[in-house]
Amino acid sequence: MKFLLDLHNRLGKWFEKGAPLEWLHPLFEAQDTFLFTPDTVTEHPPHVRDGIDLKRLMITVVIALFPCMLMAMYNTGYQAHLAIEAGCQPLNNWRTSLFTWMGFEFSSRNVFACFVHGALYFIPVYLVTLIAGGLVEVIFALVRRHEINEGFLVTSALFPLILPATIPLWQVALGIIFGILVGKEVFGGVGMNIFNPALMSRAFLYFAYPGQITGDNVWIAAQTTPDGYSGATWLAVVKERGLAGLAHPDLGAAHANLTWWRAFIGLEPGSMGETSALLCLVGAAILIATGVGSYRTIIGCFLGSFVMAELFNLIAYLHPGGNPYFAVPFFWHWVIGGFAFAAVFMATDPVSSPFTEKGKWIYGFLIGAFGILIREVNPAYPGSWMLAILFMNMFSPLIDYFIVRANIKRRMARYAA
Amino acid sequence: MQRSVTYTLIFATTVCVICSLFVSSAAVMLKERQKTNFVLDRQAKILSVAGLIQEGEKLSPQEIRDRYQKYIVPRFVDLSTGEYVEEPTLNPETYDPKQILRDPKLSREAPENPSRVARIPNHALIYQVVENGDIKELILPIEGKGLWSTLRGYLALEKDAQTVRGLIFYEQAETPGLGGEVENPKWRALWKGRKVFDEQGTPKLAVIKGQAGTPEQDPYRVDGLSGATITSRSVTYMIQFWLSENGFGPFLKRFREGAA
Amino acid sequence: MAIGLSKKEREVLLDPLFHNNPIAFQVLGICSALAVTTKLDTAVTMAIALTLVTAFSNLFISLVRNTVPTNIRIIVQLSIIASLVIVTDQILKAYFFDISKRLSVFVGLIITNCIVMGRAEGFAMQNPPWISFLDGIGNGLGYSIVLVTVGTLRELFGSGKLFGHTILPLVTDGGWYVPNGLMLLAPAAFFIIGFFIWILRTLMPERQEKED
Repeated sequence: MKFLLDLHNRLGKWFEKGAPLEWLHPLFEAQDTFLFTPDTVTEHPPHVRDGIDLKRLMITVVIALFPCMLMAMYNTGYQAHLAIEAGCQPLNNWRTSLFTWMGFEFSSRNVFACFVHGALYFIPVYLVTLIAGGLVEVIFALVRRHEINEGFLVTSALFPLILPATIPLWQVALGIIFGILVGKEVFGGVGMNIFNPALMSRAFLYFAYPGQITGDNVWIAAQTTPDGYSGATWLAVVKERGLAGLAHPDLGAAHANLTWWRAFIGLEPGSMGETSALLCLVGAAILIATGVGSYRTIIGCFLGSFVMAELFNLIAYLHPGGNPYFAVPFFWHWVIGGFAFAAVFMATDPVSSPFTEKGKWIYGFLIGAFGILIREVNPAYPGSWMLAILFMNMFSPLIDYFIVRANIKRRMARYAA
Repeated sequence: MQRSVTYTLIFATTVCVICSLFVSSAAVMLKERQKTNFVLDRQAKILSVAGLIQEGEKLSPQEIRDRYQKYIVPRFVDLSTGEYVEEPTLNPETYDPKQILRDPKLSREAPENPSRVARIPNHALIYQVVENGDIKELILPIEGKGLWSTLRGYLALEKDAQTVRGLIFYEQAETPGLGGEVENPKWRALWKGRKVFDEQGTPKLAVIKGQAGTPEQDPYRVDGLSGATITSRSVTYMIQFWLSENGFGPFLKRFREGAA
Repeated sequence: MAIGLSKKEREVLLDPLFHNNPIAFQVLGICSALAVTTKLDTAVTMAIALTLVTAFSNLFISLVRNTVPTNIRIIVQLSIIASLVIVTDQILKAYFFDISKRLSVFVGLIITNCIVMGRAEGFAMQNPPWISFLDGIGNGLGYSIVLVTVGTLRELFGSGKLFGHTILPLVTDGGWYVPNGLMLLAPAAFFIIGFFIWILRTLMPERQEKED
């Protein structure tokens, strides 16, 4: 170990100021930080709003995401196997070939097989995200002569989790490149960005290639197109037929026992990592315990969605027979679709949310309220949380501004009195 | 520059007069041409829904006019009785459905319908394709709300008043690339040969989610527009509304019985 | 093109193309840039229409600049611009019906395009007719460059075509290109214009505002 460190430090001389490889310094620095504890840790706030060591902050988020990642792999395989057991054909691609070559069966009861099959989808998406996004990061770090930022680790861990399993890999690359460019570098890099880069990437793909990211045929890694087996997310099913529709025989055998608990645990089709509300809560516990994520934002989201959902319940009660979605109670909203994931991991991004405490309450509450509003009222956009959060990202500086102004006013009044 | 009030008034008047002369003379000089364009555009749409212009075929204005004169006969139909009527005050060439629907004397409120059609004309303008004295096809105007916009178009039926010849939309503002694909020639070609009514005579043709078979195997269903559930559904609603009792149902019934 | 013009004339004509581009540096007139740029032919038509309207409105307004009473000058400018726009719209309807149908109200909305008003009030009111005319052409071309760039990128990546001719064969037609739906939506124009501004400002650091 000592030898390695020595070697490393000797090599490091080449990258110092004035040395021939100076222009590559950010690259050296990045792997140095990654492999060894660096000599310098953050002393001054790297972005205007948060004073804690950036490295610790980002690593904590990745750890909190870890349960969701494992679930992403398991559930992707599990959903595919359910579909295949119900008579669908496996997808015709290299993953299927590799999977059968390794001697696995398409069995939903074999946890390990599900896990491996899912990993064959999740890991390539994750790798492509790291490579393509990392490339953009490196280029900008070299041109702008700053260090490669750990923030990217979080973005690249979040992004694959909010994608469907069947997304083409080139779209993953395009999405993350766009997200890093427009979500971050345009504004001047980490800490300057208004929007959450992972959500920017998702939004880009959502509008650019809707056929591959929404609809009923993208969520399950098997050929679900023929009749008799629906690949629709529960969100889509509920939207169309109401909660009663979840048990509809049209949907195929594997969708027969749809219960709240199943949705809570996350055994439903959806974006790879966001199906499990349970594991998002585990993540939330880690984030809150370490002080990395704000409980105010998270609870705000839950409150906002609760109030909005109740409001729609009231409308449904007064005018029955309208949009079946209006009658869906809040506790179902919390477990289907991407709500929990968005509230815990997306809304709490420290850079793009307000930094005042009161501001976080308001911000969280409005994300919850807008998310439900978009989900229930707008027929075209099922990706409601992404839109709600990006929308509120835009307002977070404004929220802070008013809170700070209000504080100043109150203090002035106090001194005047 | 500060000027007297009189000067200002005179200056303003002069500018107004010159500008209005300029504008009105341009409008008057170009009016005929614009009207021709408008008429030609509609004629081309009608010819292509009737299959009288092939996809990709380029015609000169004169050819469009000739072909239209040769085959197309515009007729007015009373929607409630289903009989042909004369409408001497309306000129089929410049007939503007939107204007008719605004006029309470020429249109009435539609019954509530999923296509959200608010008003229907008393006497609707349809087109017949006539060859050697025989009616070969019927072209019916349809409209209804989509996701973002009102879609307006024509549905062409064969002379059995049951088989679709073609469908075209001349006005829509759905999401480009998704719902906007209602204009895609490939999708429009899927309609040819589908059947409209079931045995009881109620409209059954629908756009489904996913893919339908060939017209022979799957006569009552058409492929959905991928990623555009709402627009697809509105096309179904629209067709079912306009072919129902409230739309062209009575007329098509009479027509099939040979009375019209 | 610029041969035979004096230095000042050349500057007035060419400066707005990049160095003082009305869209990139003054961020004027971007509303129409969103609406008409999904296809290249509409973008080009709109660019030509706007260039002509700006040039002639500058010319006429410059002609009356010494006689117009100050208190009604804005309304006079508006009348002149509006007349030119209406006539342009009429001509398009008469001779380019198909394109004018797709441009719909956006030709009419040239009236509210800030570039036209901005040049009329900001340049033509102080300068003689010929140079004002050139200024109108120059600013119109500056706008055109952006519009045509945006139109090219949007049509190429959004529908795989240029001027309606297939360049990138689409998957739906048996080719390989998956069209980018975002390009067909209005925000795509914002992104492209944003990138355009970013590039121009990076290339010309002297044009960036000083930090406060």
